[in-house]
Amino acid sequence: MDALSGTELKVEGLTKRFGGLTAVKNVSFSLWGGEITGLIGPNGSGKSTIMKLVMGLERPDAGSVQIGGEETARWAPHRIARRGIGILFQHSRPLPRQTVIENIMLALLPDRLLHWGRRSEVLERAEWIAERVGLSEVRHRLPATLSFADLRRIELAKALARDPRILLIDEPFAGLTPLEVESFSALIAGFRENGRAVLLVDHNVRSVAALADRVIVLHHGELVCEGTAAEVTRDPEVRRIYLGEEADTASAKMPRHPAPPLLEVDKLSLSYGRARVLSEMSFSVGEGEFVAVIGHNGSGKTSLFNAISGFVDYAGGLVWRGSDMRRLGAAAIARAGIVHCPETRELFGPLTVRQNLDLAGSHLPRADMEAQLDLIHSIFPRLAERRDQAAQSLSGGEQQMLAIARSLMMRPKLLILDEPTLGLAPVALNQISDALDMLRKNSGIAVLLGEQNVSFALRHADRIHVLERGRITWTGPADRFRSEAASGYI
Amino acid sequence: MWKLLAVFLLLAMVPWLGSAYLLGTLTVACYFAVFAMSWDLLFGFANEVNFGPTFLIGAGAYTAGMLNWAGISIAGSLFGGVAAAEVCGLALAVPALRLTGPYFGLVTLASVLLLQQAVIIFAPFTGGEIGLTVRDVFSADPETNYWISLGVCVLTGVVLLLLSRSSVGLILQASSQDRLAAAALGFNVAKHKIAAFSISALFSGLAGAMLVFYMGAASIGTVIDISIGVQIIISAVLGGRRTIFGAALGTLALILAGEALRPVGEIRTFLVSGAALVAILFFPDGLVGQASRLWRTR
Amino acid sequence: MTALRILIDSLAIGSLYALGAVGFTLMFGVCGILNLAHGATMVVAAMTAWMVAGRLGLGGVASLPAGLAAGVITALATYRLVVRPIQQSRALPEAEKEIFILTATLLWGILLREAVAYLFSDSPVSTPALIPGIVRLGRIRLPIDKLLDSFICWGAIAALWLLVNRTKMGQTLLGAAANPRAMTLLGHDLARVYRLTWILYGLLTGLAGVLLAGILGAGSAQSGQLTASAFTIVVLGGLGNVYGSLIAAYAVGTLETTTAYLLSPQIRSIPALLLLVLILYFRPQGLLGRR
Repeated sequence: MDALSGTELKVEGLTKRFGGLTAVKNVSFSLWGGEITGLIGPNGSGKSTIMKLVMGLERPDAGSVQIGGEETARWAPHRIARRGIGILFQHSRPLPRQTVIENIMLALLPDRLLHWGRRSEVLERAEWIAERVGLSEVRHRLPATLSFADLRRIELAKALARDPRILLIDEPFAGLTPLEVESFSALIAGFRENGRAVLLVDHNVRSVAALADRVIVLHHGELVCEGTAAEVTRDPEVRRIYLGEEADTASAKMPRHPAPPLLEVDKLSLSYGRARVLSEMSFSVGEGEFVAVIGHNGSGKTSLFNAISGFVDYAGGLVWRGSDMRRLGAAAIARAGIVHCPETRELFGPLTVRQNLDLAGSHLPRADMEAQLDLIHSIFPRLAERRDQAAQSLSGGEQQMLAIARSLMMRPKLLILDEPTLGLAPVALNQISDALDMLRKNSGIAVLLGEQNVSFALRHADRIHVLERGRITWTGPADRFRSEAASGYI
Repeated sequence: MWKLLAVFLLLAMVPWLGSAYLLGTLTVACYFAVFAMSWDLLFGFANEVNFGPTFLIGAGAYTAGMLNWAGISIAGSLFGGVAAAEVCGLALAVPALRLTGPYFGLVTLASVLLLQQAVIIFAPFTGGEIGLTVRDVFSADPETNYWISLGVCVLTGVVLLLLSRSSVGLILQASSQDRLAAAALGFNVAKHKIAAFSISALFSGLAGAMLVFYMGAASIGTVIDISIGVQIIISAVLGGRRTIFGAALGTLALILAGEALRPVGEIRTFLVSGAALVAILFFPDGLVGQASRLWRTR
Repeated sequence: MTALRILIDSLAIGSLYALGAVGFTLMFGVCGILNLAHGATMVVAAMTAWMVAGRLGLGGVASLPAGLAAGVITALATYRLVVRPIQQSRALPEAEKEIFILTATLLWGILLREAVAYLFSDSPVSTPALIPGIVRLGRIRLPIDKLLDSFICWGAIAALWLLVNRTKMGQTLLGAAANPRAMTLLGHDLARVYRLTWILYGLLTGLAGVLLAGILGAGSAQSGQLTASAFTIVVLGGLGNVYGSLIAAYAVGTLETTTAYLLSPQIRSIPALLLLVLILYFRPQGLLGRR
């Protein structure tokens, strides 16, 4: 095929609202053939929504999407796909009951009910593609037996098979070793050489810098900056989004005295299926300490917390107050003093605030429960006002407060907080921040915080670990973060 | 494919070896095998659990029966039966596109109950609870009937097996396993799902109608009962989901076991259901599935 | 006076349906299970009650606890022997477990039905009235038993309401129905909650079975129809929503009774079935259910 150029994808004024939340606000950009563009932004910035809008999996409330000059915003997804868009999802989705070669053949088939004959042609082409991406040896195997990288190769093969004019790739290099990253980069670059338009979607500039000709940054659904990778990394607005305000680290810290370790994490490793999510992580949290784990979505924070709180299997050692945690189930771990407040909050939606808190405090004797409720009402006065309101009708900030309050009802020794600031407006964020300060002053509780919002973490943490692709890449006190670790984070 | 030919040869020899009783049992088994294979197509390739396959079967059977009773020839009645089953199949396809999980299963169950009630209400046309007798039958000779049913069974088996292994089969499987991925590859999931329902209805309706012309009668208890539906599902699951061939094998096993246990009397159903339950709990992959697993790990 | 008679019968039947449906919907709401052996469970309880009252000659009063016990035992057996093995099975992919549970409970129901038919013969039986006698309401003569049964139904449902809304144990049911993961995060043992649910289910369904034997008579042949009525009602009201089930139960009871009186008893179940199909096409989450 000869090289195409010109505007392949044109997005103009794209807007999408979900209830009261505007996920994408008036976004406009274009993709040209023969160019690799990076679309980056922190969690909640609207990247996935934009991909869904382009693919037709969601309808925009306003704006247009033009593929090769034709308006496709309200078409059915399969029609849009046939028009010339391919997508590599974040998680590989091969058909589990079909072999590799059959999976590739699928991508070569037309959307017709009657398709007699010509199977040998399809097979031949599929074999050629398998060769191209490096899957020849395993082409008759079932996906369940393949390595993670090979599963990603199948996805690339399917994309090659369809040879779309535009290719969207979500988190292109997640879970790959450096060597695999190299070979994948070469394959993706191959698309560019053939004049196709490629969009790489990821969390930070660093992950796409090597390949991208141009980078677009999103934040809170709006387009914030556009330029080369180097330009974007230097941009003060982008730095502010990823690293927070310069002033933040100055807040008063607890005096550092040697704290007996409560939780010890020893060479913890974890895989989901074939994807290696955590690699030999080691750190500890002492009594009364506030430790923050900073990383983007996909860095492994949530998996780490799920391992500690007993929801997923792991390899390695986890010791709580001197004893091995492995035999304990999730409910037992919660009762033993480690309470996990997840990113999704997991509130009892239809139940009232009071009922949510009661269910958390039901293990306590009556008197203790009342005492704990008083503590919570002093930290979160808003919740006292809303006791009889259903949890799902609370605002985002109030829901987060309830989630934290509920965890506190269990009187934990260690509170695990996963992305408490996600989706919150600045006002609510400050309230949570104040509440955390008050909590630390009134109780000797230890906190393990997972955040991508750097300024929030810096404000409270005694110690920071930077997590990237399942490994700790930097450890140190908050005041040294900006000077030492910041550039790697954007 | 070789397994199929072997079994076919075996079955072809039965008229010389077996009694009329055995022939009769196998004739019914052949029609039921078609029901089970059609069910497996829907389940295995469209990922839809039809708890009331007897809705489609009954529609085909009764329509054919009523047409024949009104004076239409066998061929015409068969055609009418299939057409009716197709309409019903499409009627089921519509909610299938919009409902998920247990809801669709409930629609299928409800459809059977409704058909039963419809037959009772329109008793003057359908014979109500007593049933319907038809004017013509295929033949009085057990051997002829056996060949006819065997023919239909083998034809269905071959067509469905070829389908399952074809490109269309591949697309069907993709659409059912992962709608999103299939759409992203450019496939119209709805179109293929409707096609799956259509094909399943075609063969179910045909076999149901033919069953009427074998037995000479149709009644709620023989073609619209929920237990018959359950029997079909068990046959397919016992034989091995998503293998088509397994469904036929499972039917044979179940019917032969049922007949073998006839002398036991009243607790026959209990024993068969009990065995089926145990099989489902401990061998969910079914006969063919378990066999291929053993084959692969040897 | 037909109107009054229809009203009273609707109320009686509706209350019975409500009791039967509440257990079914509780099981779905908290455990996520559609127990297709529901009707069979009711019949087992009914038969036990009949046997205790009649054959063993212990009279009506003793038949009640016997029926309840039978209900609980059957429910726990369903959980331990049929449902839990599938839930914990490693051989099945998660996505297919629901279907297997549906099929297995369907089979289990057939098994129970056949066992009952074998042990007791399949003709329907009725238990003697708990309190024999008739009461007059205007020109209508009403068996006291019918009234009593309705009161018992309401009493049971009220007791359930109190349990769920006023006790710690009951709140765990609400919690597990709303968000099982959150329960574990808060240190609750989900296995205990599920066990409790099955026991409650056994009590409610057993009671419904015993009362049914008194009013309409119960037999193994009805187990399928009973399950069908229960899920029709529950889907109409909204799967998992107890209030919805209650409303739908009375609605269906009234529809059936009115049809039987004004049109023909043969086709009594048709309006409800048609309503079911309409709801499934246009509002699959039912009256009060959420998407």
